[in-house]
Amino acid sequence: MTALRSYRLLVHWQILRLKGFVPLAIVVQALFALGIVAGYPLLFPALDRQTMLFLATGAPAITLITMGLVAVPQVVSQARTQGSLEYMRTLPVPRMVFLLADLSVWLVIVLPGLVFALWVGAARFDLAFEVSLLVVPAFLLVALTSTAVGYAMACVLPPMIAVLLTQVMVVFVMLFSPLNFPSERLPGWLQSIHEVLPIEAMGEVIRGTLAGGSFPISASPFLMLAAWCAGGLGIAYLTLRRRA
Amino acid sequence: MLLEIERITKTYRSPLRRGPGTRANADVSLSVDAGQVYGLLGHNGAGKTTLVNQVVGLIRPDAGTIRVAGRDAVADPSFARQACSLQPQAQLPIDGLTPRQAIELVGRLRGGRAADVRMRRDRLVAALDLGQWLDTDGARLSGGVKRLVSFAMAAVSPGLVVVLDEPTNDVDPVRRRLLWAEVRQLAGEGAAVLLVTHNVLEAERSVDRLAILTEGRLIAEGTPAELKTGLAADLHLELVLEPGFPPPSPAAFVARYRPNGSRAVATIPAAAAGPAVAWAEQLRRSGVIEEFSLTPATLEDVYVQLVGGPAAHSIREVRDDRAA
Ligand SMILES: Nc1ncnc2c1ncn2[C@@H]1O[C@H](COP(=O)(O)OP(=O)(O)OP(=O)(O)O)[C@@H](O)[C@H]1O
Ligand SMILES: [Mg+2]
Repeated sequence: MTALRSYRLLVHWQILRLKGFVPLAIVVQALFALGIVAGYPLLFPALDRQTMLFLATGAPAITLITMGLVAVPQVVSQARTQGSLEYMRTLPVPRMVFLLADLSVWLVIVLPGLVFALWVGAARFDLAFEVSLLVVPAFLLVALTSTAVGYAMACVLPPMIAVLLTQVMVVFVMLFSPLNFPSERLPGWLQSIHEVLPIEAMGEVIRGTLAGGSFPISASPFLMLAAWCAGGLGIAYLTLRRRA
Repeated sequence: MLLEIERITKTYRSPLRRGPGTRANADVSLSVDAGQVYGLLGHNGAGKTTLVNQVVGLIRPDAGTIRVAGRDAVADPSFARQACSLQPQAQLPIDGLTPRQAIELVGRLRGGRAADVRMRRDRLVAALDLGQWLDTDGARLSGGVKRLVSFAMAAVSPGLVVVLDEPTNDVDPVRRRLLWAEVRQLAGEGAAVLLVTHNVLEAERSVDRLAILTEGRLIAEGTPAELKTGLAADLHLELVLEPGFPPPSPAAFVARYRPNGSRAVATIPAAAAGPAVAWAEQLRRSGVIEEFSLTPATLEDVYVQLVGGPAAHSIREVRDDRAA
């Protein structure tokens, strides 16, 4: 009961703290989505249906993943350098409640951009998604995993390094991750890296639940994401608990 | 005793660099009772923030115990957070929130009932004269107003122990008085207030007890009067020289004499107050000095004497700068 009350109050606090950031987040996500569905086709004059599906599902995937792995670590690192994260740690609120409240606010922030990305992809290629029942848990898992991992990054790494790493992450997610194209096109060593990273699994569950006909889905990427999500949450939780 | 700090020792070690690390607290003990305001003085880097952050469970001591209302605060940091509210030394960014929202939300996060919290918030805002900024976004507040809001956040649902780390920084002289009155009010309501400050003269008037830290060690502890006993009999006679005149040679009753640029400070025993005023008045009439003042020794004198070294220097310099 008191945990629930703290959760509500913290969500309120974080919404007010981050509300100025929301328009910016929507614009950035919209630009990412437009870049993918309108920009990529310029490189390839003729697109087959498979490619169109990759781009239309890649757009929402990339907007979600970049928010979690880029925007979240940047904002959390800033809160760390400014001391506001430390201040929140002095309030009598269980660490897990604080973490969950913060992550919930992020899930809401990424939502408008995500909806736009879904719409713009379907509209541009005139596609009808074959939406599976698993679509909601799938998107939730992707969003939660990427924000939890981004949060853990910001908690563990020195703020400057974390922000630098997010810059690398943008390029890595946009160009060197199998989200807009099948992973066979990547060199072998990069394929093996993606076998351990969660990014490919994120693409798979999003494609599988939006276009199951062309991209059959299995349980393994879900399990992999659940493991990464638990890992991110656990690391973030432990660092929030740590006393210097 | 509501807050008992016993033999606290803390050394910061860098995980990357070998070596002894920085010993920030060494064997520090003090205790604060309900209703007491306890001042913590000490030079920059003396270990004051380190000490108070251990009370609220942000830092873990290497050795020693901290008890809040008899309970072990080191072993149970979540109880410590419940029982202690903190105003941190660093300016708290509350961009996006107005003081009205920030104070209320923190008050409720600390467990206060909505109606009580609002009532206390409005009382604090009125007492600190912050009304005109109540609905201004935190990003647009001035430094002093931010500091006062941060104080109100610590005071709105105070813990048994209230820890204030340099609450008067950035605050104007009028509001500093209002702030000190609110600090007293917190103690009056039964909290144990542990307060870090560099403002020795104001602390002297408002704290019940105080401690002086130097390089992590507690070197003096007691009421302001107790700390001054050694000096209580002394007076300071400050002479402001007429431009171009050399400092006059000291009269026979002067115990210590420090000419310094355009002024000179003579330390005299209290018994010599009468002759001292006569001497200074005569100097003034003969045009050697512009004016003079006779003041009792202050806590700042004790502080400077105890801390000594470069810190003593800098305080004297600050005084001269102000005079210039
Ligand atoms: N996180 C940290 N890591 C390493 N050393 C630290 C850390 N924080 C403080 N120190 C060192 O510990 C000592 C005490 O610092 P502390 O912040 O407690 O001083 P302070 O008395 O609050 O000073 P000030 O009046 O300037 O606020 C200093 O030498 C400081 O450099
Ligand atoms: Mg300090």
